[in-house]
Order: sequence, then C-alpha cells, then structure tokens
Amino acid sequence: MTTGRTLPDRPAAAGAALASLAIGLLAIGGGCAAPPPPAAPEVQAVWRDTIPEGPEEAAWQAIPKYTADLIPQDLVEPRLLKPSTPRLAVQAATDGTRVAFRLAWDDATQDERPGAARFTDACAIQLPQRTAPDLPDPQMGQAGRPVEITFWRATWQAAVAGRDDTIRSLYPGAVVDHYPFEAPPLQPGSEAQQAFATRYAPAAALGARREGPRDRPVEDLIGEGPGTLRPADKLLSEGTGRRTAKGWEVLIVRPLPNGLAPGGRSQIAFGVWDGAQAEAGARKMRSGWVPMSIEARGTQAGIAPRAAAGAQGGGR
Amino acid sequence: MARVFNWQIGREMSYWYPEARPKKQFAAIFDTNKCIACQTCTLACKTTWTSGRGQEYMLWNNVETKPYGFYPLGWDVRLMEKLGAQRWDGSRYEGRTLFEAAEAGERVLGWRPEEIDYAHPNVGEDDCTKTIDKGAHYHGFHEAWFYYLARICNHCTYPACLSSCPRASIYKRPEDGIVLIDQGRCRGYQECIKACPYKKTFFNPMTGTSEKCIACYPKIEQGLQPQCFVNCIGKIRMAGFISTPDQARPDNPIDYLVHIRKVALPLYPQLGLEPNVYYIPPRHVPRPYLAQMFGPGVDQAIAACNKSADDPDLSALLALFGSTEWVMPRWKRVGDTVMGLREDGRELVRVPVREPVWILKALDQARGVSRMNIT
Repeated sequence: MTTGRTLPDRPAAAGAALASLAIGLLAIGGGCAAPPPPAAPEVQAVWRDTIPEGPEEAAWQAIPKYTADLIPQDLVEPRLLKPSTPRLAVQAATDGTRVAFRLAWDDATQDERPGAARFTDACAIQLPQRTAPDLPDPQMGQAGRPVEITFWRATWQAAVAGRDDTIRSLYPGAVVDHYPFEAPPLQPGSEAQQAFATRYAPAAALGARREGPRDRPVEDLIGEGPGTLRPADKLLSEGTGRRTAKGWEVLIVRPLPNGLAPGGRSQIAFGVWDGAQAEAGARKMRSGWVPMSIEARGTQAGIAPRAAAGAQGGGR
Repeated sequence: MARVFNWQIGREMSYWYPEARPKKQFAAIFDTNKCIACQTCTLACKTTWTSGRGQEYMLWNNVETKPYGFYPLGWDVRLMEKLGAQRWDGSRYEGRTLFEAAEAGERVLGWRPEEIDYAHPNVGEDDCTKTIDKGAHYHGFHEAWFYYLARICNHCTYPACLSSCPRASIYKRPEDGIVLIDQGRCRGYQECIKACPYKKTFFNPMTGTSEKCIACYPKIEQGLQPQCFVNCIGKIRMAGFISTPDQARPDNPIDYLVHIRKVALPLYPQLGLEPNVYYIPPRHVPRPYLAQMFGPGVDQAIAACNKSADDPDLSALLALFGSTEWVMPRWKRVGDTVMGLREDGRELVRVPVREPVWILKALDQARGVSRMNIT
C-alpha cells in the first residue's frame, strides 16, 4: 500500500528501447547530422584538444549554446534607454590553456565604417580578474576589483581584412590635394616621413590607435568601474568576426583567467553594441554575470555528441 | 549634479562637476564689425593643425555668414529649436541651460550632426535676407543684412564636451583654462560632439578619436597669441585672459572690454557654458536676432561702440587689436598712444590711437604724373 501522490511508473523496458534507438541513430553516422546539443543553462567551455579557429567552423555545431539575455545599460549616464539587441548566443571551448568564445547575434545592419555620427558594431566579454566567489560589480568592475575585458569591433575587423588606411577607403569620393607629410623631399615610408606623419595624428603618436591598420580586431582592457577602462599591459587575446545574413559571428580567444583551471568555475558577462543605433561606450546592451564552467580533459560528461565533421578530441 | 555660479547668466546653475575655475582663463574678443570673411584665420589654423588624414573636413576655426551660414549645418538653430523658447529677466537668465534641460539618460541636451552636415562649409552662405534692388546702397539702415561670425572653441568655463565625456578624457588646464581632449585616453564615443552646442569637437575617422581647437597652447605658453589671431588681416581679434567680474582689472584689455565697458559679449550665454570668446556685436543687425545670439547686453554694447570714436580709451584699446603677436596682459593709453604691456608693466607694443591719414593729390606736380586712387 502506498500513500500520497506518486509519479506514474515508466516501464523500464520502454526506456531501454528508446535509449537503444537513440544510440542506433547516432551510430548510423555518415550523412546523418547529429542533433544540436541542448541549450546550456550556463556558459560551458567544453574541452577540445584543438579549439576551433573560426566562428564558422562546424565544430561549434556540437558545442552547447547559452543564450544570454541582454538589457540596456541604464545605470550610469550616458544611458541606453531604447533596447536594441535582445540576446546573444554564446558557445565556449577550452584546450586547457586558452578559452574560446563564439558570440553570435542578429543585427540587420553592417556598421563597420568609422565616421562622424557613425558607430561600429561591437561585442565584448568580461571576466573577473581574480577568480573568487565574491564578484566585482558586473558593470565594468569596481575600484580595486578589476575585470578583464576583451573587445571586438567591426571597424577593426574591416581593417584586418585589408581596408586601406586612406580617407578614400572611407569616403570614395574624397579628393585630397596635399598632405604635408607626403610632400618631397620626404621619402615615402622613410623614418623621417613616418615621424612627420605622426605629428598629424596625435592619438597614434600616443599609442592610442583607435582606427587604422591593425593585425587583430580585438583589444584587451582592464576596468575598475564605469569610465575607467584602460588597455591591459599586454594584448593576449585573438579574435575574428564574420558577417552573416542575419548578423555577426565573432570568435574571441583568450588565456584562461588567473586562478581558473580546467574543471573550475567562474562568471562571465557580455556586451553588444549596435552601430546603427549610435551605441558606443556606455550606450550598450549588456548582461549581468553569467555562471561559467571550464571543462577538464576527460570529464566531458554531459556534453552533447560531437558533430560528424570538424570536431576535435574530447570524445565521450 | 553640482551647483555652480555662471556670471554670464547671473545665477547659479547645475553642472556635472563642482566649480573649479583655473588660475587664469584664456579668453578672446572678436570684433564682428571688422571681419570680412577672408578665411585667412581658417587657413592659418588648417595649415598649422589639421592637415592630417581624417582631419580633411575639420575646421577648428571657421567663419560663417549669418544668418544662413553654418558649420556644421544648422549648428545653432537646431539646438535652439530643441531647447525651445526661454526667458531672460534683465541680466538674469530664467530659462533652462543645456545641463538643466538634459533629457533622461543624458548629461547634456545636445544633438549629433551627420556627416553631410559638415560637407558644404560656406557654400551659398553670402545671400542676403532679401533681394537687393539695382542701385540700392547703404543709407544708414540695412533692411537686408548679413554679417560674418568667426568661430573657434570657446574654451568654456563649464564645457559641455567635458561634462559629457564618460571617460573624463576631456580636461580644462588649471594654468590657463584651455580645454583639451586627451588623445591617449579618448575612445571615440563621440559624446562630446553631441554635447558641444558650438560643435567645435570633431571625430577623426582615421585615428578614431575626437579632436578640437587647442587655442594654440604651445604659443600661449610662450606668451604668444594663437595662429588664427595673428594671421587675421582685418585685425579683429585679441587673445588674453579674463577675470571673473568681481576681480575685473581695468588695465586688463579683456576685462576692460567685457566687464567694464561691456562691449564684448559671449556667444549664446543662455546655454550655460560660460563661453570665453566674446564678440563685439555687429551694429547693423536686428536687435532681437542679436539678443538671442549674444544675450541681453547687446543694446549697451552697440551703444558704446557707436560712440567709440569719441571715446579715447575704447578707441585706443580697439587699436591694439592685431598690433602684435604677443599676448598683452595689460594695456595703457598715454595721450594719442596706446601700449600693450607685459604683466610686469614692460612694454610689448606701442601704436597710435588713430593712424595718421595721408591724402595724396591725384596730380603729383613734382613728378608730373597722375596717380590712381589705389596707388
């Protein structure tokens, strides 16, 4: 005799049969693509011996996807009062020393040209500099409790892709009579010519090259609260982004944070800027802290099956 | 927001930062009645500072023809429209400043020019407010009018650009009040461009930072006036340092013209920035228009200017404009001569209050030749 409410029994045999069918379908292989992994309840950096090198790689198809809901930054002026990008799809992989984040979001317009009243599409990831249970403020960290931010922007991606460092690359109809730093007797590319040109680009002279030629579309930053952003001592992150029919797919690869080893846990936050909405700096869509796990090699329990092609290592 | 005192509007107002006046405040006076819009100032600045990539469209100094000239397009009327009608009560401004009128989520009431708004400086500007009939000429009062407004950064006491920057990349130098953008710190968010009502910060697309007039601070540090001042062929400009009204010194040329004689007025003082370029207003322009642009002191300023020929000190000081490259912290008139002086009283320059006039007869009898009136 039983008391109280009980769940209906599920015949053990039926469950076993379903499990066999699922394994059988997976085993057919070849032309049958694996089902997408289930949505992740947090950011899960799964183990891969070799992490994918681009956001388009098929390997990402087997990596769980976390959807980060974004809210307008409306805590400090200037605020973003009109919501834009509502969500961001996040996937992550680690090889034990680095961690790669694939960020994808919808964006109807491709904003990658700098100019007056023009703003770039961009995204960023943020991690606490020190992995500990008590987190700094999710909004750019706080004094004495810094956060590490890696920032990708579309204008830089265009520069990496080879856009010329000329005004005509931005304004094809522009006509320039004369730049004093390109006039004879200065030899093009000479040290003297470069030094002279730097006089007319004071930001570049100070090492703050916000636009122009670059070999990476990302930068590493340290924040200790709103308005405190500063470059990190070294640029350690890499990244690449690509435009799709729906929006952007961006891969950011950075070293594992200090104190965070495979098998550990931390938190991460995200930001997205829509250039078409004049979003820049504090005017952005952001997330709060999101739990993040870093998988250790050989402990890949719970990870969805890999796609048939492209996935590397870390077998179940 | 902090509460600060703005003497140009005669009251306290709200500002993002507490009042912190510099030891000295760079200031300038432009006499609009002398300007011929030759743009020599514009080119002097252009060739000195903005010949780089990404600076092609920038005019840190520009001269525009009012009422229909703008750079960028509609810079003042668009903001006036956004701010709406406001009210002065005598010399006290009872309306809202840009800081007090800021919309939710903003530090300053502003607007952002588009690229196209910078594309046509001075094109089609020199049109009068009505068609001039054939044979019409000046006979004492213009029904149709225009005038030239030369503009640089106002190096405001309460800069909107500075208050709008979320990174505090813009700062006001304590030694001379010149407002600068730290090119190493700016991240090109363009908040300052939206906030500055005078639209005197500019985004450089090649460096990704915003840039602005620097008041030629390397020259100021040597006691010299900026390039746009010393190259002005109309001699309409004088650079110096201004005191607050309670500290005004009659022997300081800027103080004398602004505070004591009150002939030079700030540009759109009602916006609340306490701008530090002062204008001797054009004498032929309708007063309501001038009152909107230069505040309630217009009538008094023009009345004083109209009598300047009979006013030895005023005409003497106006004669010092464009007389030397040196900044003249002090001045002194002795009879028909006026002198610009260093702070310690040493003489920098000496000019006659009135240049002598020589009238040559058309026929030079000694040489047996006739002269055209231009020779």
